[in-house]
Amino acid sequence: METYLQAEALAKHFDGVAAVEDVSFVIHTKEIFGLLGPNGAGKTTTIRMLSTILAPDSGDVRIGGHSAVREGDEVRKRIGVCPQELALYPELSAFDNLVFFGRMNGLPGRAAKARARALLAETGLDDRGGEAVKKYSGGMKRRVNIAIALMNRPKLLFLDEPTVGIDPQSRNKIFETVLGLRDEGTTVLYTTHYMEEADRLCDRIGIMDRGRIIAVGTPAELKRQVGDPGKTTLEEVFLRLTGRSLRD
Amino acid sequence: MGRAFHLARFELKRYFADRADLAFGIALPIVLFAVMTGALGEDAGFRATMHVADLDGGSIAHRILERVEDSEVITVRRYTRDELADALGRTAILTGFVIPPGFSASIDSGIPASIIVEQRGSGGSEGQIVAGAVREASHEAVSAIELRRAVGALTSDSAGDERLDEAVQQLLAEVHIRPLVEVVTEPMHVPEASELDRLLAGIIVMFLLFSATLSARALIAERRSGTLERLVTTQLSPGELFIGKFLAGVGRATVQSFLLLGLAFAVLGVAGPLAFLQCLILALVVAATVTSVGLVVAALARTDEQAAISAVLVTMVMSMFGGTFFPTTGAGWLEVLSRFSLNTYAVDAFMGLFSGTGHLPDQGPELAVLSGVAIAGLAIARTMFRVSSSPLQS
Repeated sequence: METYLQAEALAKHFDGVAAVEDVSFVIHTKEIFGLLGPNGAGKTTTIRMLSTILAPDSGDVRIGGHSAVREGDEVRKRIGVCPQELALYPELSAFDNLVFFGRMNGLPGRAAKARARALLAETGLDDRGGEAVKKYSGGMKRRVNIAIALMNRPKLLFLDEPTVGIDPQSRNKIFETVLGLRDEGTTVLYTTHYMEEADRLCDRIGIMDRGRIIAVGTPAELKRQVGDPGKTTLEEVFLRLTGRSLRD
Repeated sequence: MGRAFHLARFELKRYFADRADLAFGIALPIVLFAVMTGALGEDAGFRATMHVADLDGGSIAHRILERVEDSEVITVRRYTRDELADALGRTAILTGFVIPPGFSASIDSGIPASIIVEQRGSGGSEGQIVAGAVREASHEAVSAIELRRAVGALTSDSAGDERLDEAVQQLLAEVHIRPLVEVVTEPMHVPEASELDRLLAGIIVMFLLFSATLSARALIAERRSGTLERLVTTQLSPGELFIGKFLAGVGRATVQSFLLLGLAFAVLGVAGPLAFLQCLILALVVAATVTSVGLVVAALARTDEQAAISAVLVTMVMSMFGGTFFPTTGAGWLEVLSRFSLNTYAVDAFMGLFSGTGHLPDQGPELAVLSGVAIAGLAIARTMFRVSSSPLQS
């Protein structure tokens, strides 16, 4: 299998406290890779380093053969980022939001509009694409949030908890979209707190805790570490590996 | 760079989509204009101030000033020669009176002397009324002196009553024809601007600054919502993002000022088309200045609340000490403080152009200060600009 992303000994400290320490893993081309971990495990900091938002204190990331540290521009051409927050302009329409981010990704005006219309149709928002985003439901906003990340047809898509606080219908639509993207050749890094979601979607999973990767494997491989893969749930694996103590 | 312009255009679209912003930045100042015009247009009882530098300090000068003050509607405010010149130079006042050294001694000796009226343009209606009152007071004060002198001269010879009456009438007529005290007007050939003009300029600048600094909240909201972080994962660099935000701010303040200036010129008849065009150029400089101040506020503030408090503080302090509501010239410490307010320079420059006879190059010092603030503000804001709480990768 071809490697599309390779993280090598990534480390990041904030005010002397290690948020991420010696994180190394690979994501293969056309794979959905789940990055799981309790709150404060370092998932979002890792994604921010992978997506060139944050510079690592040490280590490097190679995406599509380019260093995220030294060749940020090349990496940014290949990625799409859907952050945990609804990073949208609520007073403007979904269409305007999409076109704007498309233009910022270098798409010419006409191409950006065509791509925006196609994505609105794909995400089931074509009939309300002209309305201000602030009038949308939580699920609709989540779909727009994802659609923005797809404007530049990324080779690697970062989805940071894309299904938080939405109804089952919207969640199901997002699952279909992610699986469809994988089938079309997009590589996906997916974080979530919903274990059944990770089990259903991800080809492989990395579990992070206290800033480090503590396990990597397919869902079946991880389950096998703690018991019978047919009877063990991913949540049991997760709790076994990360413990039951509450996190901030 | 194209992306920065596109970002700026997008930001303007957001601005026009925000009704609250439009109401605050444009509708509110328009309402204020209307209220001010109504208030200043009313006949609310005339009161005026005689701004005078009494370089003579003699008894006759003193008597004239006393008579002016006796009118009850005119207050006499004393200046040094330099203070008066400065107040006129800064358009804080439009008419100033100078009583030259030796004035009283000349009158005592029967030699005519003058009170000099220095005025910007026509001196404004208030200045003209005060000048008339000074003429009247001077005439009254000196007529009495002349009369005493004439009577004294005649009583020393042996002329009869008839001769005495004739001589007094003749001398009094001479005083009217060739008065001992003349009030001589010396126009300064500088722009004329009214108090309403000052308020208009002050309100425009104040609202531009308010909008620019309050827009810091929007930038902080974007930092919190993640849109800024998201933008730097596109092909937009942090530098382009900063330039885009700056251009958007300048565009927004320019649109705002164009609308308000257009209203001031078209409806309130502030000045002619040439002055309007020059005001638009000046508005661009002011827009750049207030935008850079807004970006500094956004860079320093970490929360919405901090940004809002900073915006209000910066705007109100700058406006209060910047001559928006009252002249600061000749007010000692207030005048010193006003030098630290960018509003002072912006209002002075607009005032100079509102007169219709001033030109943009005449506002060189003000433009230099405003440009300097814009450049310094941009440098500080760019250094501190961040899209998230952590340092960015370049």
